[in-house]
Amino acid sequence: MDGVNVAREQQLADTFVALADTLVDDFDPVDFLHMLAERCVALLDVDAAGLMLADQRGALRVVASSTEQARLVELFQLQNDEGPCLECFRTGQPVAHPDLAQAEQRWPQFAPAAHGAGFAAVQALPMRLRNEVIGAMNMFLATPRSLDDTALRVGQALVDVATIGLLHERNLRHSETLAEQLQTALNSRVTIEQAKGVLAERLQIDMDQAFATLRDYARSQQRRLSELALSVADGSEDVIGMVQSPHRVSRPEP
Amino acid sequence: MSSGRRQRLWRLISDRSLSEDVAISPGLVCEVCAGTLAVTGVGLSIISDPRRWEPVSSTTVVSARLEELQLTLGEGPCVDAFESGGPVLIADLDADAHLARWPAFAQAAAEAGVAALFAFPLVSGGIRVGVLDLYRDRAGELSSAELADALVFADLALLMLLNTQAGESLDGFDGTQDGLSGPRAEVYQATGMVSVQLAVSLGEAFARMRGYAFIHDLVLSEVAREVVGRRLRFEPEERA
Repeated sequence: MDGVNVAREQQLADTFVALADTLVDDFDPVDFLHMLAERCVALLDVDAAGLMLADQRGALRVVASSTEQARLVELFQLQNDEGPCLECFRTGQPVAHPDLAQAEQRWPQFAPAAHGAGFAAVQALPMRLRNEVIGAMNMFLATPRSLDDTALRVGQALVDVATIGLLHERNLRHSETLAEQLQTALNSRVTIEQAKGVLAERLQIDMDQAFATLRDYARSQQRRLSELALSVADGSEDVIGMVQSPHRVSRPEP
Repeated sequence: MSSGRRQRLWRLISDRSLSEDVAISPGLVCEVCAGTLAVTGVGLSIISDPRRWEPVSSTTVVSARLEELQLTLGEGPCVDAFESGGPVLIADLDADAHLARWPAFAQAAAEAGVAALFAFPLVSGGIRVGVLDLYRDRAGELSSAELADALVFADLALLMLLNTQAGESLDGFDGTQDGLSGPRAEVYQATGMVSVQLAVSLGEAFARMRGYAFIHDLVLSEVAREVVGRRLRFEPEERA
């Protein structure tokens, strides 16, 4: 019996169930994409994953990542000028490099930055819908290697599910076009960043913790992440209440 | 990549301002937008607390009528765009789905001669200021180039409105400066932090950061990085 394969199969099954559960329910697109990024890391055995969407004005923006650490998110963001993510977005093809220490000529800014952050290899997969490339999933590995064929197929399938999730949300919200969905998701992400700032300042915590606080509270209150983020960002949410009772359990009236 | 488009469109606006000796304004953005894209008319409304619509500019009588309809009916693509934070792009208003979705508005807009309508909210996360509406007298989608241009015009209109709401004049407004549609998260995070530090709205916080950047000859993203890194704090007495 191959223990590794059984474990991987179990993880795949769990992921499949979790995705299906989400898609039939009322879900928040940014939260969904965040979950996908985390699942990518677990399933494909990589060390960080970031989903970038085209802003339709010519730039790529991070909309979800497995880590909220600014230093690492920066590695996704800086690929607006060069890097595997940009190439992947432009060509619509997977782009990879198994050893970033050798990639300086190809990516003079990106390769040293990624390598300096402790990453040795990179893989980018395109988010595609028919003929359009709407973004890319960017994955970092801490050791110099490539993803095997199975991992690449699973990775591409996860990225395709991300696209489906965005489209599906459209049907629930009467949107006509993917363009509307992309802009709404991007704006949602901006609201989340603003909310992180508000929480970081109010509670004197870092951005990573701020995101976790937002996400955990949204889940425990069964509220959409974007909706909670909006009321935190515009100052109408009781922020102290978020920390005091992060896992509020409903009790019968006394 | 993106800066090329922004520079090109800003150049159209600043050139028009100079050649016709008119002030930089959201109205001028509407005019240039209408002249650049294959649309019949462009309108802009400011939406302030509590959900008051104030039509500010329109390039045609029909555009003015559209803005007025939204004000009176309180429904339509533009209302939905403002509330969702994303554009609502209706290539054919006559389709059944739209008549069902906005019964009063769709009818009235069609009677006014609107066949396609593209509503772009002037928003950046929790900052929501208004809507830029483009319409056509014939059904048809926006091309991806037109969509990109419209998004940039909306970005510029948003920045201008935030400036004026912060009490600043638009003389010397630079449309190529850092705005609120960049890919860097720090600007948005810093906006949230500063809004708490100064106990002001997000829009006001953004204006203060821009003012600080201008006075200290810094780029907005640098100021944002300093704020997020907790090396720069805005105290209530700090004036832009």
